[in-house]
Amino acid sequence: MDDQACPRCKTTKYRNPSLKLMVNVCGHALCESCVDLLFLKGSGSCPDCNVPLRRSNFRVQLFEDPMVEKEIDIRKRVLKDFNKKEEDFATLREYNDYLEEIETIVYNLTNNIDIVGTNKRIEQYKKDNKDIIMKNKVKIGREEVELEEILEIEKQMEELRRAEIARLEQEAKKQKIREKEALIDELMFAEGDAKDILNTFAQNKANKQEELVPVVPKVTQFSTGVKFTRVSTQPTLPLIEEGPLYKYEPLAVPDRCGPDPPSIEDIVACGYLKHVRAESETEKAGGYKSTLPCLRALQDALAGLYHAS
Amino acid sequence: MFSTSSQRKFWTFSDEGELAILREKHNLNYIAKHGTHIDEYQRYNFFLSPDEERLLLKQYELHLKEFCKRFSPPMPKGVVGTAFHYFKRFYLYNSTMDYHPKEILATCVYLACKVEEFNVSIGQFVANIKGDRDKASDIILNNELLLMQQLNYHLTIHNPFRPVEGFLIDIKTRCSLANPERLRGGIDEFLEKVFLTDACLLYAPSQIALAAVLHAASKEQENLDSYVTDMLFRDAGQDKLAVLIEAVRKIRSLVKMVESPAREKVRLIEKKLDRCRNQENNPDSEIYKRRMRELLDEDDVPHTGSSRMSLDTSGVTQVLSPSAS
Repeated sequence: MDDQACPRCKTTKYRNPSLKLMVNVCGHALCESCVDLLFLKGSGSCPDCNVPLRRSNFRVQLFEDPMVEKEIDIRKRVLKDFNKKEEDFATLREYNDYLEEIETIVYNLTNNIDIVGTNKRIEQYKKDNKDIIMKNKVKIGREEVELEEILEIEKQMEELRRAEIARLEQEAKKQKIREKEALIDELMFAEGDAKDILNTFAQNKANKQEELVPVVPKVTQFSTGVKFTRVSTQPTLPLIEEGPLYKYEPLAVPDRCGPDPPSIEDIVACGYLKHVRAESETEKAGGYKSTLPCLRALQDALAGLYHAS
Repeated sequence: MFSTSSQRKFWTFSDEGELAILREKHNLNYIAKHGTHIDEYQRYNFFLSPDEERLLLKQYELHLKEFCKRFSPPMPKGVVGTAFHYFKRFYLYNSTMDYHPKEILATCVYLACKVEEFNVSIGQFVANIKGDRDKASDIILNNELLLMQQLNYHLTIHNPFRPVEGFLIDIKTRCSLANPERLRGGIDEFLEKVFLTDACLLYAPSQIALAAVLHAASKEQENLDSYVTDMLFRDAGQDKLAVLIEAVRKIRSLVKMVESPAREKVRLIEKKLDRCRNQENNPDSEIYKRRMRELLDEDDVPHTGSSRMSLDTSGVTQVLSPSAS
């Protein structure tokens, strides 16, 4: 990696450890500062091959050989259109021919062989297969979203598992220290044979390890096997805010300023309802009962009788 | 419930003296505000006195009753009671010279219809008014907010009608009175008159209702005194009973004293009012019209579209004319 150098300003990784090489579609590398300098306006041409480039298409070079980057770029571009699936072909033979064709195109473009002809081939293909390309694009889009979701879930699971393992390790360490101390204490103060004590402790330890073993697979099991069922429960871990508990307090009856009206039970029992229009069937459905207007009339009649100006 | 209502807290007064003081105060306020250019002696001839205002309002209360009676569709009693309450409350704190009772009357009834859920549109409402209906609906809608503000938005009114029903149910259930339904005629008559008095500003609706029931009973040569003393006030103290007896006596005497004001007098007062009323609130006055116009002009954006249109058409005719000739 130390011999990485910007072909324009000749800075090497050794002299500038933060050197970052960028590549564009043509596959020629430039260091970050040269990109900044040359593509100040947003677009320009490659200093190596004079191909017009856009600044936004520069990305960090991942592979040592810039040609690989170029190939990745081209492949990405070509596969965008050549997105047929095996299901789209009648026979495996045809599918393989198709894959072969893609590889030829990519190779040609990467190595600058018959670029004009190859591009024509791509255009032709695009024209011929417009419908299938569009259809597959939509499908792929959906698949990509799903894939991303799965990746996200896996990342979360991974984190969870790591935290769990760290916790277990910590505990185990603590446990070991405690055991050691206990053993030393036992050796210092107990009156039995030192060998016996050592033996019993060793046995205890073995027993405990056996107990511990089933815990570990439990952790791995839920992090690998049951991905999808975890999705629904994990992000919505309910945060319960514990406020003070609701306590029922009976409603304060305001001063009626008059004699107390009869209760609903009294109204029914004392025959007040004989003098009120009975509710109809339809009114009953709405929750209306003749006790209500009766009670209200009586309440209104009695409230305020004691009013003194 | 009346005992916790704004009606009891803000609109039920201790005695008639308190009402008289309030009424006199705004009368004097109005004269002080609008009478600066008139000398002391002339003022009494020019402006209405508190007594004259009172008389005028009595006349308009009669108008209110008539208006509600003739209203179509027929109006529930609660609406009438509420309208009376609003009318009385409004003129406790306002002078008839400031706001003409004719206008406030209609507004009170309109607002009462709304509050008592008696659904009438403004078009339907003004169909009951004689004269220019568009003007009437303008006046009512203009005054509606003012009225609510003057009522301090205390719009819930406890009328004595439901308490009357309560008493009748209670009497039928607990008393041996024969056919209590025959009291209804007397009760309705009494309640109609009660609203021409200040009783609803002084007593609780249930007290008024009880007074009506007792009055109707005595007219039918029945006696319900034992119902009041032995049933309603069995657990209450003597003092409370005494207060109620006094209230009922007072309400009945108020109702007995109701008389319609002399027509001749009222006509004179109305004439006087036409001269001394606040012209800013008179929709027929020049001041009012000018102010309204100014308000309208303020929201009106200058309109040039029509003039340009006419210019264009004239251009078209000019272009057309040579070819036509």
